[in-house]
Amino acid sequence: MIEPASLGNFFTIFFTAAMVILLGALYALLFAYSRIRLVPALMPLAYLSYVGLFISTLVLAKAANLLSHPLWVAVVVCMLVGYLLAPHAIWHLCVGTHARGDAVPVKVS
Amino acid sequence: MATNQWWASETFWRKTAIWVTGGSMVVLMLLTMDTLSQISVGTTRVPAYSVINNRIEYKFDEQRKVQVPVIGAKEPLFGKELSEEEAEALVKLGKLTTQAKNCMNCHTLLGNGAYYAPDLTKAWLDQYWGTKEVREVQMVEFLKDPSDKLHNSMGRRMPKLGITDEEARGVVAFLKWMSSIDTNGFPYNFKSIEQEN
Amino acid sequence: MATLGICDSANLNGGQKLAVKYFTVAITLFGAQVLFGLLAGLQYLMPDFLYGVLDFSVNRMVHINALVVWMLYGFLGSVYWLLEEESQHEVVGLKLGNLIFWVLTAAVTVVVLVYLLVQVGPGKESTIWLINEGREYIEAPRWADIGIVVSVLVVFYNVAATFSKGRYTGIAGVLVLDMLALFGIYLAGMFYTTNISIDQYWWWWVIHLWVEATWEVMVACIMAYGLMKVLGVRRKIVETWLYIEVALMFGSGILGLGHHYFWIGTPEYWFSIGGFFSALEPIPLVAMVVHAVFDAGARHAKNSNHPTMAWLIAHAFGNFFGAGVWGFMHTLPQINLYTHGTQWSASHGHLAFFGAYATIIIAMFYLAVQHWRGGVWMSGDLPGNGWKWKWSLGLLNLGMVGMTVSMLVSGYVQSQIERAIEGSSWIGYFAAQAHPWFVQGMWWRELFGVMFAVGFVLLVWDLMTIGKGEKRALVPAVSEG
Repeated sequence: MIEPASLGNFFTIFFTAAMVILLGALYALLFAYSRIRLVPALMPLAYLSYVGLFISTLVLAKAANLLSHPLWVAVVVCMLVGYLLAPHAIWHLCVGTHARGDAVPVKVS
Repeated sequence: MATNQWWASETFWRKTAIWVTGGSMVVLMLLTMDTLSQISVGTTRVPAYSVINNRIEYKFDEQRKVQVPVIGAKEPLFGKELSEEEAEALVKLGKLTTQAKNCMNCHTLLGNGAYYAPDLTKAWLDQYWGTKEVREVQMVEFLKDPSDKLHNSMGRRMPKLGITDEEARGVVAFLKWMSSIDTNGFPYNFKSIEQEN
Repeated sequence: MATLGICDSANLNGGQKLAVKYFTVAITLFGAQVLFGLLAGLQYLMPDFLYGVLDFSVNRMVHINALVVWMLYGFLGSVYWLLEEESQHEVVGLKLGNLIFWVLTAAVTVVVLVYLLVQVGPGKESTIWLINEGREYIEAPRWADIGIVVSVLVVFYNVAATFSKGRYTGIAGVLVLDMLALFGIYLAGMFYTTNISIDQYWWWWVIHLWVEATWEVMVACIMAYGLMKVLGVRRKIVETWLYIEVALMFGSGILGLGHHYFWIGTPEYWFSIGGFFSALEPIPLVAMVVHAVFDAGARHAKNSNHPTMAWLIAHAFGNFFGAGVWGFMHTLPQINLYTHGTQWSASHGHLAFFGAYATIIIAMFYLAVQHWRGGVWMSGDLPGNGWKWKWSLGLLNLGMVGMTVSMLVSGYVQSQIERAIEGSSWIGYFAAQAHPWFVQGMWWRELFGVMFAVGFVLLVWDLMTIGKGEKRALVPAVSEG
């Protein structure tokens, strides 16, 4: 069910796992900031963070021997899709829940 | 500007919160029932207490890619074969003693506890005890008064906790039984005491 | 009539008077936690220090029990604090609530004295009933367990009955159910079994489901109240987001329990359940980031309590790094096999408990002091530029981050030498413990612990003096919409 990581990959795993979460937050932050402040120039940076997250996830998956088992591949795919879509979904929720009363200059795409 | 979509309404999210919580709890209950049946005493994962009558080894499993406990030939603890009831009583005394002496706030058991002293999951198989012939006696003597025995180069010592001879034997039985639990390969790469004849 | 600048109980409603008592005990126990943490940390460096008098096991037990109990007191206090305002009704069983407060506090005192003076007992069930249950975090003897359960039940009754007679809001609904869960889950830890796999299976129900589910939701309720109070956010929005967070947190957190079931004898399917839900657990944190940015952009409200606001921001960061980053770094079973039960766990535990819970309770302390002194000004331009709260905030947070990073270095060495190379044997364990990097990590941990302790002393001093003699009243947060 699992293939334990090898000693040489420890640092890679700790580092990429931390990067997954940090870049996930950076992506969400830039994404939301770009929209709320209407700074489209930040959006490429947001997606660049996601690309970083994407790469980190794959490196993590390789180092933690996730890619040789279908179940763990599914977890990796869920992470890649989930982290891409979550900020979009939450953004729509923010707009939807604040709909009445707030005069926020937001763009709904 | 979006207004009042159903998916952004308070009612929708109240219901969602309730259903998600309820659903997760139901799944957890079902998994719990299945797990409890697989980890009750006398199963392949958690052997019967009378396993202390046998040799216990920890060997690499090619298919699972980790070490797993292997129950071997008869090798009764303290040279006396126990019935299932006697074995349970002895292990119970040992488990109660580990709780009463607060072992878990220095050691880890199955990896849980404090980090001031070694993990006890495979303590029974540890090379520290020398040979398998002297192991049981060494363990009992150690538990009764560890304060004057050599531990490590750092001066960290286990205190004398008033463990009686009977309690110490119970603890050793508990440790032997615990080493037979299938922990999915934890701890990894453990080097066991020499047990071959 | 409010008396500005003086701690006058006439400034508080009935529930808040009781809350202040809970908060006072909470901060006292917080101090005990810091003290015994320093003692235990010092024993890593000087093993003979207090050997045979207050052994590591005793200090460590008091350290973590003080943690659990001060946070529980902080939460119960917070609930009583907001109860009357939220329900717009007097607390129904206030006398009973007061009585239970004193009973619980007396019981806690007896338990701690027994821990310190009796320490251990014979290997019999009577020890578990009277002295010490010997199970990490829930060491409290069985008689005290019953006391805790009865106390939580009484608070539950007070909360449910008060809301039922007054206004039953969305926050009320979540809080009442959460209190019920808080009571119910604790029962899972109140029995003896020789089978250590089953023992730890239920033990994790209490630890994980209390800490990572019911406490999180309690924080979400307090946060919701705090946002309305400090920033003047509209109720409908706050309550909708409370439900969203409950859905996300319970949705990922309840089955996230699986990441504790990798190595205790439980079947292999927990690997995939634990791995999958651990990967999901950062999603609520990402949601909070987006929502916080949205809110900050949508609103330019002045907040009426700067220390509280600063501690809420510390909460956001601490929760994100402690639970999110530190958790995910070592949660996948492929790596957790080597980090489980090392200083990694300690590193993660320290930052996560502090970031997720200590911060928000401290934020509540400041809110309580502000109103206890009659609703004084606590924004900018405080005497001395508010140096005490700023320095204590800085020292506590820096001290905690320092301790966390130090333990991470030690844990890294431990996972490599003890776990991967030597396989958790006795020799491997001490080889790692004696490694220079490990030892240095423990020294730095102790130094940052002292920094944390200084921050704590400043915090207490500040809470006792902030707003004293202040003549300006607070400017209430303006409700939008």
